[in-house]
Amino acid sequence: MIAVAARVRRKGFTLDVAFEAPAGVTALFGPSGAGKSLLLAAIAGLVRLEAGRVVLAGRTLEACEAGLRIPPHQRGVGLVFQDARLFPHLSVRANLAYAERRAPPDARRPGLAEIAARFDLAALLDRPVRNLSGGERSRVALARALLSAPDLLLLDEPFAALDGARRRRFLAALAALHTDFALPMLIVTHQIEDVAALAGHVVGLQAGRVVAAGPVREACASAAFQALLDPRDQGAAYPARGGASGAGGLAWVRADHVLLARARPEGLSAQNIWAGTVASVAGEPDGSVMVRLGTAQGPVLARVTAEAASRLALAPGVEAWAVVKAHAL
Amino acid sequence: MASAQDVQVLAVSLKVAGLAVGVALPVALAAAYALSRPAFPGKSVLDALVHLPLVLPPVLIGFLLLLALGRRGPVGAWLDETFGVRLAFTTEGAACATAVMVFPLLVRSMRLSFEALDGRLLEAAALLRAGPFDRFWSVALPLAGPGVLAGAATAFAAGLGEFGAVMTFAANVPGETQTLPLAIYAALQTPSGEARALSLAGYSFALALAGLAVGEALNAWARRRLDR
Repeated sequence: MIAVAARVRRKGFTLDVAFEAPAGVTALFGPSGAGKSLLLAAIAGLVRLEAGRVVLAGRTLEACEAGLRIPPHQRGVGLVFQDARLFPHLSVRANLAYAERRAPPDARRPGLAEIAARFDLAALLDRPVRNLSGGERSRVALARALLSAPDLLLLDEPFAALDGARRRRFLAALAALHTDFALPMLIVTHQIEDVAALAGHVVGLQAGRVVAAGPVREACASAAFQALLDPRDQGAAYPARGGASGAGGLAWVRADHVLLARARPEGLSAQNIWAGTVASVAGEPDGSVMVRLGTAQGPVLARVTAEAASRLALAPGVEAWAVVKAHAL
Repeated sequence: MASAQDVQVLAVSLKVAGLAVGVALPVALAAAYALSRPAFPGKSVLDALVHLPLVLPPVLIGFLLLLALGRRGPVGAWLDETFGVRLAFTTEGAACATAVMVFPLLVRSMRLSFEALDGRLLEAAALLRAGPFDRFWSVALPLAGPGVLAGAATAFAAGLGEFGAVMTFAANVPGETQTLPLAIYAALQTPSGEARALSLAGYSFALALAGLAVGEALNAWARRRLDR
């Protein structure tokens, strides 16, 4: 459990946030320039708070009113930087050993060999870090952070340098980390799919403020959170098939991929047909209509044309069926 | 062939410059690292203090050392009574004067290597639980190391040529404090000493060139090392 209330001022920018997150995986989501990285730096103690406090699992890391400030190296907070920040004068193995040597001796944790195997690094161990690819650097940086046995792991867009299959493997490894080590994580991302796949909790940031926070399914469905998204990405998180794709166990489905019907549809190929009640109908700037539906399966978002909305007489309170056409569910 | 006198002069010069750099290095390292870090109270005062020997006349530095460390100076008298150490007119004294003169050179070159260091790596080390001294030894010094050595080599070469401060504080004692420039000066003071002065000048020139070459090689290593 982490509780943060932080005000940090930078040239022409003020970060002023307050949120609490449970011990699981929490995503910090928002457009670039929202203050996500600055917030991580503040929690890690790399930048000084102007006002506020940071409390991690009952331990106060910083409290401005009490004049308390634990320096970064004593916080037990690990950070995987977007640019990896591997030590250029050390080999991959020595980078990992650097962290392992400085971990608290009583921490029960996997050793260097196990972590290296888990992240597919065994073949890289004796290489100098300057010859690594971007994706390899990300994996070494994550492995190094884990070996220092942090009480909280902060990740700043850890997938930025990865694509395709490697990205999916990295995501799966991250999700497994959470389940295997019960390590609380705070992940900065601007990919909504990652939020759904990994996080149980989400904090939506814009221009240095929290605009939405809470459990992923509910918080993401809110209008304030949807406003953070590219219109094409607007949608909702649904339980993924088998719940196995990540710690969050959710999959993101765009509102464009959800059909609405006023009567129970028959004979469709889609498997996910849920009954619900329309909660709201809102016109979008592009002329489409966003319909919010409350169902037994949770909130559903569907985008329909204005013409369809009036033809179906969609209005708050009416009953409707949602057809969610997504392979992942 | 070098005469016995020449060998003695060379030995004194190397010993004085070597001792001077050895004494000044740890202090210069600390000062350079401090000056490369973000602003702290007293930073500009420290910066000015470090640069004093560069702008004051060397003879004045020698005179100040004589006042403080001479046998009747407060520190000199204490050193003499407590440890039986006398600095004025000794090789150690010449090294002491040279150390003060090369100090700003050392700090300036080392500070550049520390400033070229990526501060974000120190942040990364902090978040792997490395404290401030640990970060200096495990990250800052290894990465800036070649630059530090390059600075030391250049300072050594410069120390071989220190004249005014050594002359004032340690005088021109053959076999004790007579370094290359002092020997050249002494040779020029004697009738028909030009030939000896010229041969000494040759050594001086060769040593200076060698020092610069070593410094430049170390600098090239430093650049490769910091190149990510």
